[in-house]
Amino acid sequence: MADEEQPQTAVVEEPLDLIRLSLDERIYVKMRNDRELRGRLHAYDQHLNMILGDVEETVTTVEIDEETYEEIYKTTKRNIPMLFVRGDGVILVAPPLRSGAF
Amino acid sequence: MSRKQTPSDFLKQIIGRPVVVKLNSGVDYRGVLACLDGYMNIALEQTEEYVNGQLKNKYGDAFIRGNNVLYISTQKAVRRA
Repeated sequence: MADEEQPQTAVVEEPLDLIRLSLDERIYVKMRNDRELRGRLHAYDQHLNMILGDVEETVTTVEIDEETYEEIYKTTKRNIPMLFVRGDGVILVAPPLRSGAF
Repeated sequence: MSRKQTPSDFLKQIIGRPVVVKLNSGVDYRGVLACLDGYMNIALEQTEEYVNGQLKNKYGDAFIRGNNVLYISTQKAVRRA
């Protein structure tokens, strides 16, 4: 039985196909530079460039006290009505933290 | 157990198995491999994130952009502590 190599297997979905299921849903995005986004996914592409609506951005910083060497975690949040996210900054995309059986 | 196997064959084989995905940043993700593609973009289920200790639990799907991935490894039944 000759094994034919197909350029694309129709059965297996790619991770990007599964992101498509999250369109128009709220998602959580973990980004470089200790940033996180929570917003509604309006559009995306293969680079993971994304259009997010009603976004809350959380920036996490760690300050180290010179004397006590204590690590102080600070978060800064801001809200943005509509945002274009460049894909190369994206690390991870997930539904907002909730327990869901897929 | 040595047989000629390309990396893409390995990737096809491990779908559905519990894996460890380590990122360039050092963060560790453990979950069941749902699917992946040639860019090493990954979809995981039942994902847990480890940075030194356990940080966050992600349930459902987690998609990881391939350029961040350092390696994908299977978890054996007996895990070394």
